[in-house]
Amino acid sequence: MPVFCHAGAPGAAEGFGVTVKNAEMTLQGDSYALSADIDYRLSARAKEALQNGVPLYWDVHIKTLQHRDYFWDSTLSSTGLRYRIQYHALLNMYRVRNEGDGELYNFSTLSAALDSMAAIRDFRVLERSAYVPGKRYAVGIKVTLDRDALPLPLRPIAYTNPQWYLSSDWTLWPLTK
Amino acid sequence: MAFDKIKPPISLSILILFGLILLLLQLLSSATQESSELSAMYSWLLLVNGLGSVVLLGLVGANIYSLARQLKKREAGSRLTTRMVSLFVVLALAPAAIVFYFSMQFLHQGIDSWFNVEIDRAMEDALELSQASLDQRMRWHLRQTEQLSGKLVDVQETLATLEMENLRELSGASEMTLFSRQGRIIASSSINPGDILPSLPDEHTWLQLRQNSEFVALAPVREDELMIRVIVTIKGKEPQYLQALYPVPVRIADLADSVEFAFVRYQEMHFLRHSLKLSFSLALSLVLLMSLLAAIWVAFISIRNIVAPVKALVKGTKAVASGHYDQELPVMAQDDLGFLVESFNEMTHRIARASDETRMAGIEVENQRAYLETILANLTAGVISFDAEHKIRTANQAAYRIFHIPVTQFVGRTLLELVQNYAELAEPLKSIQRLLEQADDIWQQRIAFLGPNGRQELLCRGTPLFSQEGQRVGAVVVFDDVTDLIQAQKNAAWGEVARRLAHEIKNPLTPIQLSAERLQHKLADKLAEGDADMLLRSTTTIVQQVVAMKEMVDDFSEYAKPSKKQTVDIDLPGLVQEVLALYVLKSGVKFKVDYEAGLLMIKGDPVSIRQVLHNLIKNALEAIGDKGLIEISLHRVQKNNTDFIEIALYDDGPGIKDDQIEQIFEPYVTTKARGTGLGLAIVKKIIEEHGGAIWVDASRRPPGAAEVSQSSGSRGDKVGAGFIIQLPACNF
Repeated sequence: MPVFCHAGAPGAAEGFGVTVKNAEMTLQGDSYALSADIDYRLSARAKEALQNGVPLYWDVHIKTLQHRDYFWDSTLSSTGLRYRIQYHALLNMYRVRNEGDGELYNFSTLSAALDSMAAIRDFRVLERSAYVPGKRYAVGIKVTLDRDALPLPLRPIAYTNPQWYLSSDWTLWPLTK
Repeated sequence: MAFDKIKPPISLSILILFGLILLLLQLLSSATQESSELSAMYSWLLLVNGLGSVVLLGLVGANIYSLARQLKKREAGSRLTTRMVSLFVVLALAPAAIVFYFSMQFLHQGIDSWFNVEIDRAMEDALELSQASLDQRMRWHLRQTEQLSGKLVDVQETLATLEMENLRELSGASEMTLFSRQGRIIASSSINPGDILPSLPDEHTWLQLRQNSEFVALAPVREDELMIRVIVTIKGKEPQYLQALYPVPVRIADLADSVEFAFVRYQEMHFLRHSLKLSFSLALSLVLLMSLLAAIWVAFISIRNIVAPVKALVKGTKAVASGHYDQELPVMAQDDLGFLVESFNEMTHRIARASDETRMAGIEVENQRAYLETILANLTAGVISFDAEHKIRTANQAAYRIFHIPVTQFVGRTLLELVQNYAELAEPLKSIQRLLEQADDIWQQRIAFLGPNGRQELLCRGTPLFSQEGQRVGAVVVFDDVTDLIQAQKNAAWGEVARRLAHEIKNPLTPIQLSAERLQHKLADKLAEGDADMLLRSTTTIVQQVVAMKEMVDDFSEYAKPSKKQTVDIDLPGLVQEVLALYVLKSGVKFKVDYEAGLLMIKGDPVSIRQVLHNLIKNALEAIGDKGLIEISLHRVQKNNTDFIEIALYDDGPGIKDDQIEQIFEPYVTTKARGTGLGLAIVKKIIEEHGGAIWVDASRRPPGAAEVSQSSGSRGDKVGAGFIIQLPACNF
């Protein structure tokens, strides 16, 4: 399995944006599982919004593609994770919630909260039976900030201000086993 | 055309468009409410509305561009459209701008008024109060747990579980757990017997615990439940840790939660204040922009519809001004403009009808005029009309025939101007001019002049023309060529005289001749020689005179009786040769005959024609005496579409005097000592009976020739006389 490094996020030059640092697929039992490290770096504007109680929603999109010669690639599976990070003034804590299973995590620092979202371990993506040897497969991962979940007044700004362009590009690599 | 029919009416499309715009704006406005389900679509709605505005802007721009082009081309109705659109835009824009300005003011002030320092502080204080309250509770639980931990010093692990149960119940904690130094669970007790695995502190907590030997913190267990986690160190031989989880009373938790929620909301709003203003302003601007653009666009369409009839009217008026009366404008609506268009259509109809009638009347008048002109042209009488200044206005074909002057070429000139070109007509023209100027009533006059065909006599009747006001506006003169009529009258009179004379005179002549011969016969022997001679001379004279008188009377009767006895085809050259054969023997006279090749035939009585030739040749011989030249030429001429054979006879004698030319063909006109004076009269009579004409060829004589011949009287002046005869030719 290749270990993948990527540094092409939109705001990389300014020091913010999300990048997928490592990503790999391993065979665990009868399914393929994804492990990835994601680097979340918030822009000043996003940090300010978070400090003021604006919750930020993050979507981790994961998809596997099957290559076809004369047609566009078919998507075998498309799944993902959704996180919410919010600041709690009363407890002076950052709370991360996995929207999938509803689990809550509290962190007294922002970096700890972001780190908790950064590591994806053994996330089941694809049944082993879906893999047919001889065909070509690719796995992709992308992290986006859900701008439509931002408070309404912030949305036009989020769509126009580069400070809010935090989402990563698709990181794709072939699945070879 | 079919496309127009299936196209929905423009008003319906406009209504639908407006409905769509309103719906979009309403959706956008609803989406602005945070709680609305539409809020997820806010961005899309914003985008769609923005696109709608761009489309509308494009439509308005296209309309403005096309209007500007029309204005540049100065197309009909473009200026009116511009004025109306400008007025509408100004009228619509001004109140909208005012409302927009004040709305923005209110909006910004309203949003700013939500936030002020007092509320800020109150919010922070409330949060601090909540934190202090919770803090106090935490410290209290910490002290409590520390006290409890004293009872667990060096307690055996087997007893620990029992002790924990007691302590938990004593302290009111929901869970209590004893950890070894390595973090292993030694004993645990929970208010909920189902919880087998106790809540474990995370690494961060352990770190803090090892540093401070105690730990207290609020731990959100679930979304809306708070716990106070207290961990203290039990200082025994082997240090152990006691963790206790105390529930925060629901009421306090709720209150803290509420305070926090309010604070967070406030904080968020405060943070989003500028964004909020921006998004409200954006929505408001978008609403205004779309409404305005839609209104302007609709205004363009409506104004175009209103101006369309005016445009059509302007075009129609221009067309009518340039003479196209077949303008039919469509009546689009039953309003004032529709009425105007209808009136315009009626007006053009009337104009077209009137112009048709005028044209028809003009054609009618023209036809009448042409008809009258045709009649006038075909009159045998010559007609010349004059204007008030006695200038020729019109003249018909017959006038040309009579005068041999192309009178129509002299329209606009007076008769006196004609005199300069036609000197031979000077006298009659001058007298007509005089009559025109002087006569106030219908006048009549006979005028004689020498035309190219000989002497012509005209009967002129003039009628001055007066307008209805009695002003003299011109005159009409009618000419009749009465030459032939007068000649016929004269001939008839002379014929009658001759016939009677012959009858009355011839009767006594024979007895006179017989008596004279008898006297001679009886008395010749009885008288003396001298007397007998005298008798012979006297009776001879009587007999001779009687014979002469008989000849004269025969001539008269010849003249009186109709000469055209029989009609045959006569070969003129042959006849001429025949007649000349009788004269060629006469010495000293030369004959020259000249005729063109071809048939020179006439229909007539050969005896009469022969007599004509005899008379003319005799006449010539008498004129030239015993020495001279007689020329005869024959040729074909065409006159008034009829073929004539012209016989020209010239001698080189003394010629004819001017004063005789006019009367030379009248009976008893002679210059000779002997002669009845009937020779030429008979010639003329015969020629006219054959439908021909004879005249003296005046052109042959040089001017002044007459005076010369008269004064000198000598034979040496070979002036010569010429006669021209024209007889209708035989056509085969």
